[in-house]
Amino acid sequence: MNLNIINKIMKNFFLFVFMILFFVDVVCAQSDVYLSLSLCATGKRSDIAIEYFTVICKNDNTTRFAKLLKEVIENDLIFSRYFNILQGVPENSELDFKERLLWWEKQGASVLLTGSVSGEDDNIILEVKMFDVITGETIWKQKYKKESLSYRYMAHEVSDEVVRRFTGEIGIARSKIVFVNNGTRFKELYIIDYDGYNLRRLTKDNKINILPKWSPDGEQIIYTSYLYNNPDLFVLSLTKNRRSIISKYQGLNVTGSFSPDGKKILLTLSRGRYPNLYLINTSGEILQRMTDGSCIDTSPSFAPNGQEIVFISDRPGYPQLYIMNIDGGNVRRLTTSGFCDSPVWSPRGDKIAFTMRQARGNYDLYVYDLPTAKITKLTNNQRNNENPTWSPDGRFVAFYSNRSGKGEVYIMAIDGSGIRKLAEVPGSSYTPSWSPVLDR
Amino acid sequence: MKKFLLLVVACVLVFTGCKKQDIKHSSDDVGSSVEIVAFTDEPSLRGGSEKDININTVYFDFDKSDLTSDSMETLKKNAAYLASNSDIKVVVEGHTDNRGTIEYNLSLGQRRALKVKEYYTQLGVVANRIATTSYGKEKPVDPENNELSWRKNRRAETRILVRQK
Repeated sequence: MNLNIINKIMKNFFLFVFMILFFVDVVCAQSDVYLSLSLCATGKRSDIAIEYFTVICKNDNTTRFAKLLKEVIENDLIFSRYFNILQGVPENSELDFKERLLWWEKQGASVLLTGSVSGEDDNIILEVKMFDVITGETIWKQKYKKESLSYRYMAHEVSDEVVRRFTGEIGIARSKIVFVNNGTRFKELYIIDYDGYNLRRLTKDNKINILPKWSPDGEQIIYTSYLYNNPDLFVLSLTKNRRSIISKYQGLNVTGSFSPDGKKILLTLSRGRYPNLYLINTSGEILQRMTDGSCIDTSPSFAPNGQEIVFISDRPGYPQLYIMNIDGGNVRRLTTSGFCDSPVWSPRGDKIAFTMRQARGNYDLYVYDLPTAKITKLTNNQRNNENPTWSPDGRFVAFYSNRSGKGEVYIMAIDGSGIRKLAEVPGSSYTPSWSPVLDR
Repeated sequence: MKKFLLLVVACVLVFTGCKKQDIKHSSDDVGSSVEIVAFTDEPSLRGGSEKDININTVYFDFDKSDLTSDSMETLKKNAAYLASNSDIKVVVEGHTDNRGTIEYNLSLGQRRALKVKEYYTQLGVVANRIATTSYGKEKPVDPENNELSWRKNRRAETRILVRQK
């Protein structure tokens, strides 16, 4: 053996490793300093301690809010799956701050979150502080005022900031989900916070409204409505509290997807022929016919880069997933079997979630990983699982399932774990669409 | 380069493989990115519609939009009625059973409606008296989940348009 050569290789190897480490360091140093860069979607969780929120100028209101705000934040951090929440120091504990830190350190906490609530009537002020348990240093502190927004929104703001400080990723606590529910015997649109609170009805048409989809800025929802006895495309402006019709060709005007810049909409039109994909602007003018033929082409979803779309087509004889460029070129088939539908491109751009019919006739959710072309099954034969929609951070999927015997919306992590029901809502619910993070 | 050419050929094949007896002006649309496409559609007949006892509903096999011989017989009678009542305008509504996804079923219902319209025009009914639409699985006549109700729901209804004042 030639030791010299081995030596050289080793030297080069170390140089290489050193350069990688250096490079990683430089890249990381450019962004904010985060508490833990190793945390990612599937990484290990951080242990965070949350103490009872203290109350300054005690009255019924502040005491109540201290409890509620802590509950909401805790819930958010648990939902985020970035954290283990540690609790334990009893309320009104006699321990001083140093002793408490020591106590938390023994419990395995790396940071401690505290809050204090002050203010009168509805003008609640929440001051949160985050401490390094070992050194006792304040890592971050901020005051939040309630003003016109709800206390839940205020708490969600805190949670999203905690997530950002820990991971550098956006938190999703200020997002909402729009869906269809038939509790009135008609199909109406409803909106709800991502954690299942603040359910609100958006339409009162006594007609069939289906397939709502958010605009990228979170200010509008497009949907298909039979208000005028034909599936027309409507837009509902949440800021102006007004709705209008965008596309009303005879026959299908079926919701597809907003372009990432919010200026264009993909939809399915029949126009007296077979259902094909079209690109329109937000005032409904057709910009481009995307597909052309006597097959069913429908369910389009934009890639986050705005350059490609995924859709289904039954050109092989049954509906399959296809990708093509926005100019109509480079058509590629992704799936090879099963009836597929409802593809949605992930916000990170690397995955497509969709539903596929199983041998026994029910539908299950899958995720297609674009870089590896690997398909992973997310749900497992619990009746039908359809219409997936991505959380704004791309780590969760909300979807329709009738596993309980009626249609309901569920949320799970993208590895299929941690399934929870969004909320208990009378009637059956369908076709959820997850908003971006909303700043109001 | 070779790969690219192959892809282009593949795309062309995919598209042309799909085309049957398609429409005159459509070739101009392909590839043009900002051009506004001309409106050449069927009539917009979207007032209220109602059933006419002289016009019958036709039924389809699962996941199919082909007309059965029974359907054709029914449609011939419907067409004869339409021929002798030339003031009637109709909307053909396509429906599906509740198996499968919402989006796909909307398109399947539309294709069923279109097949019926095509047959009517072959039988001599003027195309501008007929509009098509689809409810997919949204409007079953029988909400039960069994073979019998599925059969009732896979249908195309020809409904007459109610004049609006």
